[in-house]
Amino acid sequence: MGNMYYVMILLLIGAILLSAVLSVSIGQVSIPFKQSMDILLNVITNGKVGSLDHIQNESYHNIILQVRMPRVIFALLIGMGLALCGVVMQAIVQNPLADPYILGISSGATLGATFAILVGFGGSALLSQFGVAFGAFTGAMLTSMAVLLLSSIGGKATSIKLVLSGVVIGALCSSFSSLLIFFAKNTDAIKAVTFWSMGSLASASWDKTPILTIVVVLGSALFLFQHRILNTMLLGDESAITLGINLSVYRKLYMVLTSLIAGTMVAYAGMIGFVGLIIPHITRGIFGADHKRLMLGTLLLGALFMIWADILSRTLIDNIELPIGIITSVIGSPLFIYMIVKKGYNFGG
Amino acid sequence: MELLAKDMAVKIGKKEIVKNASVHVKKRQFVGLIGPNGCGKSTLLKSIYKSLTPQQGTVFLDDLDVLKSSEKKVSQRLGVVGQFNEMHFDLTVHQMVMLGRTPHKGMLESDTQKDYEIVEEALARTNLLHYKERSYLSLSGGEKQRVILARTIAQQPQFMILDEPTNHLDIRYQIEILSCVKDLNIGVLAALHDLEMAAHYCDYLYAIKDGEIHAHGVPEEVLTPEIIEDLYQIKCQTFTNPVTKGLSFAYGF
Repeated sequence: MGNMYYVMILLLIGAILLSAVLSVSIGQVSIPFKQSMDILLNVITNGKVGSLDHIQNESYHNIILQVRMPRVIFALLIGMGLALCGVVMQAIVQNPLADPYILGISSGATLGATFAILVGFGGSALLSQFGVAFGAFTGAMLTSMAVLLLSSIGGKATSIKLVLSGVVIGALCSSFSSLLIFFAKNTDAIKAVTFWSMGSLASASWDKTPILTIVVVLGSALFLFQHRILNTMLLGDESAITLGINLSVYRKLYMVLTSLIAGTMVAYAGMIGFVGLIIPHITRGIFGADHKRLMLGTLLLGALFMIWADILSRTLIDNIELPIGIITSVIGSPLFIYMIVKKGYNFGG
Repeated sequence: MELLAKDMAVKIGKKEIVKNASVHVKKRQFVGLIGPNGCGKSTLLKSIYKSLTPQQGTVFLDDLDVLKSSEKKVSQRLGVVGQFNEMHFDLTVHQMVMLGRTPHKGMLESDTQKDYEIVEEALARTNLLHYKERSYLSLSGGEKQRVILARTIAQQPQFMILDEPTNHLDIRYQIEILSCVKDLNIGVLAALHDLEMAAHYCDYLYAIKDGEIHAHGVPEEVLTPEIIEDLYQIKCQTFTNPVTKGLSFAYGF
């Protein structure tokens, strides 16, 4: 199993790189794979490798670097982030059904985004520039802090208290969102809310990548080293204490960190369902539930999955870009069903 | 290692579960807690291993103040085999036992050859060597409990607390688990239900009733018909088992 693990990891990294190059080649303007590769190599190595001589069209360079590249990076980071938050959330609440949005993040972000779209933040130039992203992020953070506070009342934040607090606060936020929509007159804005809730990578651009990169990469690096604590989380509070780890403390800490990551992702890409739920499960099916191996596998598989979801969302229907949230669910569910049927995977339990 | 828990009092909600109980386990002693269901055995144990915070009392492992020390520090010395617990995610037996090394590891430290050897030895002691790659959740209750014991052994504790470790186990696993613990030759405090087992394995017994220490002493002093009736409201007679020469009980007479 030891060597298999490293082979699988290398295969995944290879697949991600190939898929990334493929992804920048595909689109309304189709660019030959070889030329995309050369352009990318040329940029990465600063001209030392990858000749630009045979590039057929000047615009290829721009299309790849300005339009498609940021998008691939977005897909990669968001895939990593969602899978990471999913695997951590599942450990925090000791429940295989958890996803990055379970603890009120989704409904909070939706409420924030709905508010931003339907009501707006008034005349403040800075706020309206970020508008929806700001609303979603703030909503996500506020609700997850509320969930954390509510679950800490009366001592330890147990996993059940967290889930119940998440459900209650989520329901509250959803009803406020519904209220806003109910009184809204502007049908375009209502459509915008619906569209936002389906998730999209269309807003990807270079100026947004730094923040997302920092948040996701730092978060991933940090959690890669938390495997011991994540593993004891699977055992529950009682056993964890006897192994020297007070889960209540780590649950709160991890929740703050994951909601920061999830909040940032929601702000940039809206709600992309299913990835955070199924990628950890699929990875457990391959590498097992030990977080020492699970973490890296999940991050890579999440990235790969998202790059392909993005490719499909752009190419399935000519000239129309489908919301990526629809794609992730449509390819995710059959994959999951296949896994249950084929491997007898029993949800890690 | 010596354990001294003094004047422990634990309240859950408004109910006093443990009232002023003191327990002393001397070096390498195997000490049993007996008493009816709900008498406060588990609660007392939990307050000793920091899962519950007692309202009053002190716990010392040699000169380590357990209640004031970090969980990590305590877990480097004290191992706990609890009642059977549920899990929603699956690990292999080897991974499960490896978790026993957690207290000795820093955040960035990886598992060394030494850790693997310790785990191997723990698996050998519990007869689990050929179970290594099996999935934990696919095991029977008795096998699972052995894995938990192996994990606790891998923790290399100098003292062990057992909370009804043989609940729901058949007689073979009961004997296997208790013998294995006895062979470790470290201080042990164990809540037990089976009085014959308690008489056989324990050097000293504490009988608990309504959260208080009702009687304590060597098994022959504690396991008398009178005390047993006080504890369990059942008549019984004790006799020396002709086969084992150990203390035996005939209930209902």
